[in-house]
Amino acid sequence: MSEFSILVVDDEEEFVTTLVHRLRKRGWASEGALTGSAAITRVAASDFAVVLLDMRLPDMDGGQVLQEIKKIRPASRVVILTGHASASEGEKGIRNGAFDYLLKPVEFETLLEKLQAARDCGP
Amino acid sequence: MKMYTATIPGSALKVRSRESYYARQKRLFVLVVILVAIIPLLFISWTASHFYQKSWLNKTTVALTSLANSRREIIDLFLGSQENILAGYAELYDFAWLSTPGNLEKLFKAMNHQGVIIDLGLIARDGSHLAYTGPFAEDLKDKNYAEARWFAEVMQSGRYISDVFTGYRGVPHFIVAVTDPTRSWVLRATINSALFNALLASAEVGPGGDAFILNQQGELQTPSRLGLAALPAGEKGLLTTDGALTIHHAQGSLYATTGMKNNAWTLVLKTDIPTSLADFYRARQRDHLIIACAALLILAVSTILVRSMMNKVEGADQQRMLLYDRIRYSEKMALIGRMAANVAHEINNPLQIIGDQAGWLDELLDEEDPASLKNTAEYRAAFAKIKAQVKRASTITHRLLGFSRSTDGLKSTINVNTLVEETVSFLEKEAANHRIAIRRNLDPGLPEINTDSSQLQQVFLNILNNAFDAISNDGMVNISTSLNARQLAVEFADSGPGLPEEVLKKVFEPFFTTKKAGSGTGIGLAISYSIVERLGGTIEVRNGKQGGCVFRVNLPIAAS
Repeated sequence: MSEFSILVVDDEEEFVTTLVHRLRKRGWASEGALTGSAAITRVAASDFAVVLLDMRLPDMDGGQVLQEIKKIRPASRVVILTGHASASEGEKGIRNGAFDYLLKPVEFETLLEKLQAARDCGP
Repeated sequence: MKMYTATIPGSALKVRSRESYYARQKRLFVLVVILVAIIPLLFISWTASHFYQKSWLNKTTVALTSLANSRREIIDLFLGSQENILAGYAELYDFAWLSTPGNLEKLFKAMNHQGVIIDLGLIARDGSHLAYTGPFAEDLKDKNYAEARWFAEVMQSGRYISDVFTGYRGVPHFIVAVTDPTRSWVLRATINSALFNALLASAEVGPGGDAFILNQQGELQTPSRLGLAALPAGEKGLLTTDGALTIHHAQGSLYATTGMKNNAWTLVLKTDIPTSLADFYRARQRDHLIIACAALLILAVSTILVRSMMNKVEGADQQRMLLYDRIRYSEKMALIGRMAANVAHEINNPLQIIGDQAGWLDELLDEEDPASLKNTAEYRAAFAKIKAQVKRASTITHRLLGFSRSTDGLKSTINVNTLVEETVSFLEKEAANHRIAIRRNLDPGLPEINTDSSQLQQVFLNILNNAFDAISNDGMVNISTSLNARQLAVEFADSGPGLPEEVLKKVFEPFFTTKKAGSGTGIGLAISYSIVERLGGTIEVRNGKQGGCVFRVNLPIAAS
């Protein structure tokens, strides 16, 4: 399994930390970002294959972050993960270039499948 | 049959106070109509009656006055002429001639050709009867009048008209007497009472009226037309002292009294007011009856009109209140929705972390040495349980979000009948398991509507699931569709036990459930409510006439 990079963006630090650990354990080059601006900085610095993005962030709106990421890295796949989860919000994200969306709480196995799908879909 | 689309607590109290308000308004309006319509009517009636009576009294007073004057003149003329005739004879003939037998008869005949007098007598200065002609010759032959009052009066004043008296003949009569110029003898005539009385009897005083003459003592000198033997005690005041004509108004009667010129008699004419006004009173009674009928009619019509008007106002107010209640209910539901979304979101994040931490621990367990861990199996089971409970909690939060989310879901043009059939097909197996028959009575003429079919299907499923739960086993659900002017309706009637009123009121509120703890979240119907609202329709519940619950979903035909 080749190494792919993933950025986990969520304001819940414990969520980010644990997820990053578990993904690294499975061979993903994972990093975390707790704010929208931090995420944009990280994306600008390095090319992540997949970004897991929470829609509710302390400093910015998730949709805005999505647009910025797609502007900087049009090829990166963004999977939306939101607790506010409505189908419409997710669908809106997809229309704005997101790869797919997941509703919190999501089982780790499901999340992994979705991330692999996003990764495999890449160039 | 009550229907709950929206009900707010305390509205029953408001309805009661509104009812008393409308009752008060009704009474007030009726009172105003009565005041405005009936009081003038009564006033007009009273005024007309009062003025008529007054004018009648004035007219009658004038008529009675003129009658009294004319009668007095006639009687005065009559008595005066009798007195003058006698006085003429007394001057013309001397005592010797008059006392010659046969001569007095000649005079009597000359004077009495109209039957005016009954007899004629010649009385000497000492009171002895010298000559007499008339029907009482035998009775009066040897009588002496020296002690009689009339004799004393005539000897003193030369002329005299007596009151009515009985005298020696034992019959009431009155006389006219004169002396010769030397006052040495008296010529006396008895007036024919019948002729004299006739002068009064012909006076027009109306029914119940009377005409008579009184002497100074108030004794009747002519018979009362009403058969009175004497003047009633209360009417002594009628006697005139100065001879002037007076009008009295006493005891329901109108009196005209006037003194006579030739003697101290008083002529009394009386008109009985109630008897004379009998026709007027009858007419007035009829008027009162007509006015009473008119008043009743006004009262009835105004009551009916006011009632119908107030009922319309009340109906309109109730419609407005209902609309207001609905708006409040939708606002309440929207608020609950927003709160639910926030709560769900806030819970989803910790749920995610709990699940992740359990998964992370589970993974870390792989790296431990199995020999150093006694309870590996227990740990694994515990992590699995945590995950399962997180999943259970998340289904609830997801459904909550489903209730609140503002869908701009995909709308398409669908046939509701087809959607019903499709929904029923999902549940056929379950229905068969519980021996529940699903009957359809679908209107084939339903137009296609533009709506979110998956959301609508969720509503149908929720309602049918509730119906199945209510029936439990062996029963029936009747689904019917129908078309109204601007909307179509889908009704689900189940053969279950129905719901108590207080449950019907709350059935669309989130987390309200009658199912036992753990078997229902109480959110299905709340979601259905919000979906139907968003689709521009309404959802109603009521108890059916044959028992069971009836859910009705109304959907707009025109795309909203």
